[in-house]
Amino acid sequence: MDQVKAYYEFVDSKESADISLLKRGSRFFVMTSQGQVCDLPLYRQNIFQVLNTYHQGLKSPEIAPQVFLFTKNAINLTKKIFHQKEDIQTQETTVNWDIIFKTIQSIGQNSSSLRILSEKILELPFLKNFHSSLVILHIKGQAKAEIIGTLWKSEKFSQLFETKNFNVLFNSIKKSKLKSFHTDSFSTLDLPFNGSFLGKDFVSKKYSLIYLTTRHDFLNFQKEEIDLFQSAIELLGPHFERIIDQEFNSKRISELRICLKDFPLPLRLKSNFIENEFSNDLYEKSLEDRDIFFSKKVEQNFSLDLYDCDELRHYAFDLFHFQRISLLGELLNTLRHELSNPLFGLKLGSQVYASFELSTDHREMITEIEKNIDRSQLIIENFSNLYQEHAEAKSYPLRKFIDESLTLAKSEIREVKKDIQYLNDTENLMVNQPLIFIVQIIFNLIVNAAQAMRDQETRPEINLKTTFFDNNIIIDMTDNGPGIKPDKLQYLFKPFFTTKSYGTGLGLLLSRNLAIKMGGNLEYISDLPAGAHFRLTLPIQGPT
Amino acid sequence: MKDILIIEDEILIQQSLKKMLERKGFKVDTSASGKNGINLLIQNNYDRIICDLMLQDISGFDVIEEAKRKYTLEEIGQKFVIMTAYNSPQVLARANSYKCRVLNKPFDDLEQALCLMTE
Repeated sequence: MDQVKAYYEFVDSKESADISLLKRGSRFFVMTSQGQVCDLPLYRQNIFQVLNTYHQGLKSPEIAPQVFLFTKNAINLTKKIFHQKEDIQTQETTVNWDIIFKTIQSIGQNSSSLRILSEKILELPFLKNFHSSLVILHIKGQAKAEIIGTLWKSEKFSQLFETKNFNVLFNSIKKSKLKSFHTDSFSTLDLPFNGSFLGKDFVSKKYSLIYLTTRHDFLNFQKEEIDLFQSAIELLGPHFERIIDQEFNSKRISELRICLKDFPLPLRLKSNFIENEFSNDLYEKSLEDRDIFFSKKVEQNFSLDLYDCDELRHYAFDLFHFQRISLLGELLNTLRHELSNPLFGLKLGSQVYASFELSTDHREMITEIEKNIDRSQLIIENFSNLYQEHAEAKSYPLRKFIDESLTLAKSEIREVKKDIQYLNDTENLMVNQPLIFIVQIIFNLIVNAAQAMRDQETRPEINLKTTFFDNNIIIDMTDNGPGIKPDKLQYLFKPFFTTKSYGTGLGLLLSRNLAIKMGGNLEYISDLPAGAHFRLTLPIQGPT
Repeated sequence: MKDILIIEDEILIQQSLKKMLERKGFKVDTSASGKNGINLLIQNNYDRIICDLMLQDISGFDVIEEAKRKYTLEEIGQKFVIMTAYNSPQVLARANSYKCRVLNKPFDDLEQALCLMTE
């Protein structure tokens, strides 16, 4: 608020003194040396009347402050002014600024939302003939503005408002000199009422705001009426700001609460006054003693605690696992490309060599070299295929799928007793599925079993049994290892669940996904007193 | 057709292919680097140029670009056989733009590959 002081000095008076003319916004106040205040727009006429008696220069309050010399006694002058003020107070049509100040204060104090504020503004004495009161708020950065308020003093109104229209209205009100408007000039804006209206614009860092009020008539406003409106609503500026801030904050807090409610770790906010200021669902669910995993003093009175739990361990390892997986993928790719070329060279070289005339010993040796090269090539390809999304289905006898898997797992199951049974002549049954998918699943199951049985005293055993039923091949894999504990069963196919310190926790999940992709399934069957039993079911003809 | 140039930096592959092709009666020159390969193909007239894509110094496509100084696009499509272990769609698309044959390493069938190089 700008303040302009104009000093009206009263010479010729021993008690002397001055009257200050204060400009606050568009309002003027007159202050006497005795500290009394009256409002210029109201008493302007009176003041002009008085002042003009002595000086012709002061025509309008907009005129830059000048010093006027008065010869009359100051006390008489102030008396005259304030005497008239008392007279005016008795008149019904005039406004008492004390009441306005008080009303504004009570409006501000008793409004907890923009809607209530807009309703209460109509309590201002000079707005008693106004029926509708609307606030149009545009928060910076938001796509649309919003109209909030009351129509006909009864109907609660709330509607989104196009930003484009908001800007048109805002600028018109801001630039208008008269500050008196008519909906006819804004027919495209879709305002919820018709007629003359008064408008006031506010702007702050976070938002722009328009306040509108109307009597729903088409009469023009008096200059005094407009001035009064502008001045009084100006005083409401800080209240608008406070209420909008409050609404922002409560919205933010409720959103934050919603976020924290579903936070995947047990969490609790404590304050000095209330033990449980806030706690989320997971905290509520499991009230047994937990260790605090992380604690942070938020402010003097608040502290935030995160509690240790299984979920936390899983999440903490997530990143680690992901890093390992992606590293593994990169490594396999590099290996594949770096080893393929020299292996291919070896292969060609040995083929050239094999075409020479050789002794039987040498020929055997070169044949063995070629076989080893082929095996290396296959292992590299199969490993890099483990991370492949798509694969082509081809027909092979079931035996080939099993053999390839065993070749790949050869080093893992060196010490393991293997028993493979092909029931119902499944050995040569043609299966039209992607080789690498099936190999990957079986390889995974075998490696899992072998690792689980690594330290056991009895000799580890893996049994593979294949049968054919209803166009599906069923591969049952059992071992004599520790099996899966009942309490862990529910996590078995969950990502990142692992009992191994070096596992990825992805093997079974990927395997099941592959099985489903091929139109089959992978499941765990708890039918053994000890040991694990996985069953892979696959249609012999994959989905096309 | 009898003169063949092999540009391949993996010596075991290069020499094995040379042996196999020579045994089939072709005259074979070799180069382990792309730049030397370019010199050879500019100085001599080869009926077929078998070129690896990932050379140590430059790429097989660079060799083809240089060969444009001597050969028309049609001749390039006839003469060049590209060998690659990276059969990505981008590589295949570029190879197709020269209309030349592409052999994936390792070869699925050696005899078939040799036929494709020499037919």
